[in-house]
This record gives sequence, C-alpha cells and structure tokens, in this order.
Amino acid sequence: MSSEPIERRVSYLGDRLRGRRCQICGKEYFEIKDYCGNCGRKSFGKMVDIDLFYDKGKLEVCTFINKPTNKFTKLGNYIYGIISFHNGKIRVPGRLTDHIVKDNEEIDLSAFEGRNVVPRFRRRYSVGKSDVIPTISLAFTLADEYYPHQKYAIMKPNKEYDAPGIVGYGVYISKFRIRERNIERSVPFIDEDAITATVEAGKLALIHSGINSSLVGKVYVGSESNPYAVKPIASKVAQVLKLGEEEGDMQGVDAIDTEFACKAATSMFKDAASLVSYPKSNIQYVMVIGADNSQAAPRDGPGGELDLFVGYGGCAYIFGKHDVIAEVEGWYSCTSDTPDFWRRDGEPYPMHGGRFTGDPAYFKHVRKAAKKLMERLNLKVEDINYFVSHQPNVRFPVRVAKELGFKEEQYSPSLQVAKFGNTYSGSSPVGLAAALDIAKPDERILIVSYGSGAGSDAYSLITTNQILDKRERQKLTVKYQADNPFLEYVDYTTYRRLKLGM
Amino acid sequence: MQNRPAIIAVGRTKFGEHYEKQPEKLIEEAWLKASEEANIERKNLKACYLSDYFLPITNKLGLEEGFLSELTELHVPMEVTRSFSSALLNACNAIQAGRYNMVLVGGIEKMTDRWDKIRDDLMLLEDPWSYYAGCTPEANHELMLRAYIKRYGITGENLEKLNLALAQISVKNHLHATKNEYAQYQRKITIEHVLKARKNARKPLGLYDFAPISDGATALILANEEFAKKFTDKPVHILGASSATDYLTFPAREDMTHFLVSETAIKNALKTAGIKLWDIKIAEIYDQSTVMEMISLEDLGFCERGKAWKCIHESCKDYKGYYEMNGRKLFVNMNGGLKADGNPLGATGGAQVFEVFKQLRGEAGERQVKNAGKLSYGCVLELEGFGTKGYVYILGRD
Repeated sequence: MSSEPIERRVSYLGDRLRGRRCQICGKEYFEIKDYCGNCGRKSFGKMVDIDLFYDKGKLEVCTFINKPTNKFTKLGNYIYGIISFHNGKIRVPGRLTDHIVKDNEEIDLSAFEGRNVVPRFRRRYSVGKSDVIPTISLAFTLADEYYPHQKYAIMKPNKEYDAPGIVGYGVYISKFRIRERNIERSVPFIDEDAITATVEAGKLALIHSGINSSLVGKVYVGSESNPYAVKPIASKVAQVLKLGEEEGDMQGVDAIDTEFACKAATSMFKDAASLVSYPKSNIQYVMVIGADNSQAAPRDGPGGELDLFVGYGGCAYIFGKHDVIAEVEGWYSCTSDTPDFWRRDGEPYPMHGGRFTGDPAYFKHVRKAAKKLMERLNLKVEDINYFVSHQPNVRFPVRVAKELGFKEEQYSPSLQVAKFGNTYSGSSPVGLAAALDIAKPDERILIVSYGSGAGSDAYSLITTNQILDKRERQKLTVKYQADNPFLEYVDYTTYRRLKLGM
Repeated sequence: MQNRPAIIAVGRTKFGEHYEKQPEKLIEEAWLKASEEANIERKNLKACYLSDYFLPITNKLGLEEGFLSELTELHVPMEVTRSFSSALLNACNAIQAGRYNMVLVGGIEKMTDRWDKIRDDLMLLEDPWSYYAGCTPEANHELMLRAYIKRYGITGENLEKLNLALAQISVKNHLHATKNEYAQYQRKITIEHVLKARKNARKPLGLYDFAPISDGATALILANEEFAKKFTDKPVHILGASSATDYLTFPAREDMTHFLVSETAIKNALKTAGIKLWDIKIAEIYDQSTVMEMISLEDLGFCERGKAWKCIHESCKDYKGYYEMNGRKLFVNMNGGLKADGNPLGATGGAQVFEVFKQLRGEAGERQVKNAGKLSYGCVLELEGFGTKGYVYILGRD
C-alpha cells in the first residue's frame, strides 16, 4: 500500500499535469518550482502556474512495453514514450491508453512517433482492493483518433436569463464497444472507472460551456459504481477540474456525491437550478455529473441478466443563469419504496427483482412523473418536441413513450441505449444530450429519469438561441461517439476483463 | 604526488545466481581474494568504503556498515554508497587528503533473491513520474535509441547496419566472457540469437541487448603511493577520477541522445591524469544495454557523435579483438561487459576496475589484450541510474 501523503502529492500534480513557467526566460517545469534554474534568485515571484490538462502534446519517441513492471501487468502490452508540449519546452513521460496491441501484431514505432496526443485522466496502476486508487493524466490518446484535442476557451458571459438553465454539457463514452443481440454497448478501457468518466464528462462540459471553472460553486456527482464505499468522487472532480476559486491546494467549492440508483444525477438538476437562482448563495454555476461503469454480475450468475445491457460513460451538465442554452421550465419528482433493484454494501454486483422492474417500478414512476409535470405546466403531448426517458433496455423507453402518446419522431432522437447500453446514472442525461445536440431554439424537451428503489424526476426544458452558438464548441457529440470510425469492438471475455479494471 | 592513490590488489566473486549464499559470504570471498593477493591483514585497513544499490530492499539489510563491521571485526570508519565507483571516489579523496594510508573498497549486490520484484526495484533508479507513466527498466534505453535514430536521420540500409552493430556488441561481449572464469555467461551467442529475441519481443531491443540481473561482490585495496610499495611492486595508479550528475528525469534532459555525465567526467579525468584520450587503449564501459555501449563510446570521445555504429559494424565484420576507431585500436569490455560478465549493481564497477587492473599488469590470462603495443592506460566508465550519475577512472602504470 502506498502512503496517502505521497498519493495526495502525486495525484495533485499528476492528475492535472501541473507545472510552472519562468516569466523571465520562459523555461517550463513539470513541477511546482518557486524559482527558475536558469534565472536563479531573481526569478522568485516570477514563476507562473501552468498545466497541460487541456493541452495537446506530441509523441516524440516511443517504444513497446511487453513486460511491464508488476503494478502495470493488467494493462498488458502498451506503447510508452516521451511527450513534448509547447514546442518541446516541456517533456513528460507517458503511455498510450485506449490502445490494445494485438498478439502477433507487427509494431511500427515510427507510425506513432510525431503524432499529436491528448492527456487523459486515468487510473495509474493496479493496487490492492483496500488501497487508495491512484490516478494520473500521464496517459495519452492519439489526437487524430477517437478523442480529438479541444481547447478550453473561457468566454465572457453576455446574457443573463430570468430562469436558470443548462449553460453547457459534456458526454463522455469510451471508444470500446461490445456488439450482441442487435445492441452495442460501451466498454471502459482497463484503466477507466466511474471516477475517470466523471472527470472526462466534466472536462467536456467546461469546454462546451466556456465558463470559468473557478465560478462553479457546487458539484454533484451521481453514481452507483463509485469504486469507494466511502470517499467521494466529487472531491476528485473538484480538484482535477479546478472547480471554484483555487487557494493553495484547496478548491473553494462544495462537492458531494449522491446515490439513488440511476436517478442520482437527474435528481440534482433542480437543486442546481435552485442554487444558482438563490440570490444569497453567490453561486454562479453548478455542475451535475452522472457517470457509471454500470455493474452487472457475470451472465450465468444471479443478477447476470443485467450483463446484456450495461454500458459505460458519463454525462455532465452545468447550470447557471448566464448564456443559457436550455431554460428549466419546471419539474416534478415522485418516490415510492419499491425494491426492484439493489446492491447490498460489500457486494460487487446489484440484484434485480425480476418481475418488479417493469410495471410497478419503471413504468409506474416514469408515467406518473411525466403526466404530473405536463399537467402542472399545462402541456399537451404535441407541445413537446423531444421526449427523453431512462433507458435500461430498448423496449421500456419506447413502450412508455407510446403509452404517454408520444410519436416516434419525439422519442427516437434521444434513444441511445442501443448504441451505448445502459449507462445507469448517465442514461437519461445522455438521452437529453442527444436531444440538445440537435435541438433548434425554442423547442421543448421533456426528460424523465428513473431510479430503482424507486423514483422519477421529470423536467421540462426550453432551448434558447444560444444553443446554436455553443454547438460548434463541442466535437464530442453523442452522434460523434455513437458512429465513430475509430470504435473498437471487443469480445465477451475482453469486455469482462476491461470492465473489471486494473 | 605523494598521496597518489594506488590499487594494490583486487578480488571478486563469480557473477551470477548465488541463491545458496548469504550476502556476507560474497563480500568475504572478494575481500579474501584481494587481501591474499597482496598479503594484507585486516588491521592494515584504516577505513572501509562499501557500496550496494539496494541490499536494504532485496535482503532487508539496513545500516550495512554495521554488518561489515561484524564481518571484518573491524571498528574503523565505514561508509556505504550506492555504486562501486562512488565508494572508490570517496576512498580516493580520503587517500589524497592524507587521511588514511590504506582502505578497503568493496561492492556487493544480491538481486536474484527477488526475481519476481527486481524489475520494480530497478525503477528506483528512474524518476517516479516515468514509473507512474508505465516505464520499465528497459524502456529508456529503447527511447534513447529511437531519439538517436531520429536525431541522426538514420534510415534504410544504415538503420539495418546500426541494428546489426548493436547485436554485434552483444556477440562481442559474450565472446570476451568465454575467457572470463568469473563471468555470468561464459558462452558464445550469435547475431541470430540477438535478432530473434528482438523479433519475439517486437521491440527495438531484446533479451540479448540487456545486461542480466546478478549476484556478486568485488573488492580492492587502495593505498597511498608510498605505503603501496610495501605490499606490491606493481601498483596500478588512479591517475584521474571524476564524476558528474544529471537530472533523474530522462525526458527533462536537454539532449536525449547522449549522457552528459560521461562527457563531463572523461574531460575532467583526462585533465587530472594529464594524458590524451588516445593514450587510453583499454576501456571498460557500462553496457547496461548495447545502446549504452554504443553511445558511451561517443560520449567518451572515442567516436564522433552519430557514428559509433559505423565503427562498431566495420570492426565486428571480422572481429580481431578490438574496435577500430579513427584508425586506432580500442579494446572494450574485455571481461564481457555487463552483458556477459554480469551486473550486480553495487559490485559492477569493481569488476570493471578489476579488469583494467589485471590487463595493465598483464595478468589477464587468456583475456590479455594482444597486439596493443605498450599498454599504459585504461579507463572505466560507470553510470548510476540511466545516466543520472557518471564516474570515469583513468588507471595507469608508470
């Protein structure tokens, strides 16, 4: 077990790839240096913080690792090399991730060298089950493949709205898929988990929104596959994404994890909208992330039926009152104590009350929440352009949409389960993102989540003109990640291995 | 120079796997051989300088000075450093300062006891960030080779020749080791062995490009010039001793195609010794990998930058026992180098000095260099880590 203080220091620098630049000579360091080695004493106070988190690097030279050191053996074979940033001013070591080297595959190192790479936030290496999970961003992917480099450009807000709403969002789905029975499901790479998906989604939401991350006053993370029973994911998100005002090694932000099966994130949309509206909160933006490495027991065991549907990914929303792309028109939530799906503490996989999941659980709550909200807002089915619901499988969301009277053109754009699988806390948020990706201004979206246990949250959102302005800021749309030429398909054994992680 | 340090005797164990022996048995063996050679008693020793890289980790032995005290039943000052060269440098400084007239310098390492963890242990020689990013003990050698190929634009036929030259280094070192009774691998290998291992690993360098892990110990007795005369009439003098240090982080170094420490250390050592580079005819070079031997030849100045592979390739086509560089003969790694002699980290430098000592005295037996003309000077290059520290010793006989 590594020491926690070491772990804290390594992840503080390594997760964000922090460093310093000398303002006198321009020399850069991958460490928090108080003075420059070139300029000496006169550079005290002249060192500025830099980080490489949103930067694009170049893989200078690389080699193939076929015999890693002990903590890396689960990664199997990988490409390791030296990455330069800022035209070679700073060089760091790194490994390529999201890259499976096949047995007997010829390796041409020069095919990798010279290419641009993007730092990715990943697990560092394997540790014991009770140890602190080490993370790092010295894992890279090729920028001309699945995950392109995107600049994080902060924009000055130019319009304040009366009602709070979504100011930006990000969807992160891994590049691996398994294809079975006419559905494709996303599979994490072996160094990914709920924590890494959360950070990736949050990073994309910041890029899309163009807001200054220091103005985020609160972050909620909803997940049911946090690898820790006790320790928040939200603290990692706050630190890595530098949410709230940064003071020393602390972030001036409130960060908390929530849990309510698949509605842990959507439940907090209203809290986020309320917080940014409360005049004395001084909170300009709130981030809500839903992410899961959706858990399922192996197919032949108890609870194994879920193994046909689970996916991996995360979705982040930023709420505020400036430069809103979709205003929150209203919401309704309902809850009943229904044990349709649960996971006991210490158990690795959730259980499923077979006959309970459909009618008395999913359909009852989704129907109720949708109907009640429409009633309250005096909406008819035809007033709604897009209907989004929780997507545990292909059948349920279609059936409930039809029952409520929605037509295919209203519910099908948000149906992503056949592309990504059930991303649990990220499921209905990804559906909402799919609708936002294509919605025109002044359209209405109705989203109804469902969380086992059980409850539903319904929201009505109305898009604004600014939805079009911000669209070009995000290359990683839902469609981009669903139909991508770089997707990599794996077999069942590989899928289970990758899902289990390092 | 009254206090010029002189080596009066050397001793070593066979390198390899000594799983049946306690670490103290190894150092005892090396010390006994050295002391017998010049008839030295323990009471003659005024201090001991010992080196081991990670005995505290591999054998759970901390405060090795106390362990050495128990072994020798001596209570003189003792210091432990990480490499033999580092211990030797301290010893030289003490002798030159006139502090002691005779000291023991020893090196020991026991690596094979931790076969399953040793590659992780070796990462202590690299910077932590490289380790966290997935580096291995071999990776930096391969990255340096990649950088070298790019820097000098080596492609096509030339690239094939370079790869062949690296294989020839390994074959040459194995050939030398067949005459070294202490070597870990006293067998010949062929170019095909080297190339096949690379192909199997799908890597630029394979099993036969790297030095093994080893157990072993080495020792030498160092005295000042006057005192040395009482014990031997064939002392080998340390004419130049120098070390240099570079960043631990390989990617942060300005030039990734050579070792700054070697370049710096040889310059300073030559200056102290007052000789020219080409007065040196025999060199023991730290070949943790074949790339390291090639690049070190350039760093030491025997060959122009970016060209060593050509000299090696030409010399090894019809190998006569030496490299021909700039029309001159250079005998390199006559003991088999780290590749075939073995590489018990803390003891390795001792084996390098051992070889030059024996060669300069003409006592290297079957390995004795032939057709070298007058053999007056030899040098030793030892590195710590991946070029983080470098030590050069110039040895000579009057």
